[in-house]
Amino acid sequence: MPTVIFQLPDGTERKVIAVSGTVLMQAAVSGGVAGIVAECGGNASCATCHVYVDSAQAELVGPPNDVEDEMLDFTAAERRPTSRLSCQIHLSDALDGLVVHVPEEQV
Amino acid sequence: MSALTTAAPGAPVVELDLAELRRDPYPAYAELRRTAPLAWVPSVGRHLLTRYDDIVHAEKLPEVFSSREEGSLLLRTVGPNMLREDDPDHRRLRAAAEPPTRPRQVRDQWAAAFERTAHKLLDRIAGRGEGDLIRDFAEPLVAANLALVLGLRNASADDIADWSRAMMDGNSNYADDPDIWLRAERATRAIEEAVAEMAEVTRREPDGSVISSMVHAADPVELAEIQNNVKVIIGGGVNEPRDVFGVGAWALLQRPDALDRALKDPSAWKRVFEETARWISPIGMYPRQLTQDYEIAGVTLPAGSRVALVIASGNRDESVFERADEFDLDRPHRPHLAFGGGPHFCMGAWVARHEVSAIAWPLVFSRLKGLRLDDGATASDSGSAAGSLDGWVFRGLTSLDVTWQATA
Ligand code: FES
Repeated sequence: MPTVIFQLPDGTERKVIAVSGTVLMQAAVSGGVAGIVAECGGNASCATCHVYVDSAQAELVGPPNDVEDEMLDFTAAERRPTSRLSCQIHLSDALDGLVVHVPEEQV
Repeated sequence: MSALTTAAPGAPVVELDLAELRRDPYPAYAELRRTAPLAWVPSVGRHLLTRYDDIVHAEKLPEVFSSREEGSLLLRTVGPNMLREDDPDHRRLRAAAEPPTRPRQVRDQWAAAFERTAHKLLDRIAGRGEGDLIRDFAEPLVAANLALVLGLRNASADDIADWSRAMMDGNSNYADDPDIWLRAERATRAIEEAVAEMAEVTRREPDGSVISSMVHAADPVELAEIQNNVKVIIGGGVNEPRDVFGVGAWALLQRPDALDRALKDPSAWKRVFEETARWISPIGMYPRQLTQDYEIAGVTLPAGSRVALVIASGNRDESVFERADEFDLDRPHRPHLAFGGGPHFCMGAWVARHEVSAIAWPLVFSRLKGLRLDDGATASDSGSAAGSLDGWVFRGLTSLDVTWQATA
């Protein structure tokens, strides 16, 4: 049961206890995190679940997969080196304490 | 589970006139959102779900709000297809068909050809000084683009547009008109032949199209599945981008400030696209059927209940969009529902965005100087007085008559 932290654009923070084996987007949606839209329900086809992984943890989370890499060029907020689609980040206990930043815009 | 064709116990029953709904559905939706956000509408034979939050909620539960609908006209028209499947079958077909419609593919593989086609169509009409932007430009453009992306090199833009119309008519043939069925059958047979031929060709030489992608899918897809899914894509792939183009162009022609902004700052076209799709959604609703008893909007729907997710209404929900009936490029960014949500999120979204907002609008407004609505072609902000706006399941302008300075 990893805990993940969403830093929102307004400076506030949301802590969500997630279920191992699910994806970060699901944790955001079931935790009611505003700013993760996730229109396509996790199929890497909408680019509205964009997050910036905290740079200190970027290596731990790893790079985007190929399809995701393509979608990341089309996010509403600018793409940065630590940009990921939260629906493609699989959670495990190794990611306990993960911090991600939610961009201003998703659409 | 069998389909229930009556009101759920406790669901309010609201009579709506289908002709009125086609003319302008928005007043009825506003009333439903206020008084009966889940209502059984006898003339439609479904429960209409009309509030934004409830629709989003339903979209996120595909295992409850199933896409498999018994007695679906779409199934009768085109046969089993991914739009009426749930995962994992839906996912297998979608994964096979989707790669050519992803945004980078659109930009790198299709955009240049889209642009050439748009120029060709404008070359043809520029000297005339007047025309119908739907018939003379938008429809042939999106049909030609669709033929390209699908890989139907053996079909013309006219074929695609005709097939699309014949199938859309079948899909809404509630009156069971035998002539309509006949035309739909003729169209679907022609598509089957065209797809079979191109599947054979791309088996030998992959060409990056949807047909090719399905032929070479890692998870195998049968020819009949390719044929049926191409039918579905042709059914929806013409009118949606065509209608966003038409409604957006019409909105801008009545709002010189907004138009001016888009002309000065091309990045604004994206906003025009999303706001147009929210304001008058090209797809107004889509059907779902309950797999289990489920409570939503204060009513417990029994398994088998038929529901329409009325995304056109969700997109006008005042609790989400202030002054929701207005077309406003400056409204705070909130996600609209026009592309649907969940696993069925519109596969053509990136194609449509690019062909309309990066190509069609900018070229039309830069090449046709002095473009304006033909006298008499005016409408109110809500669109309710527009003679040529039509439809509620699908809504768009049937024509957009304009004039401009003819060029030699
Ligand atoms: S939810 Fe659509 S890309 Fe992640």
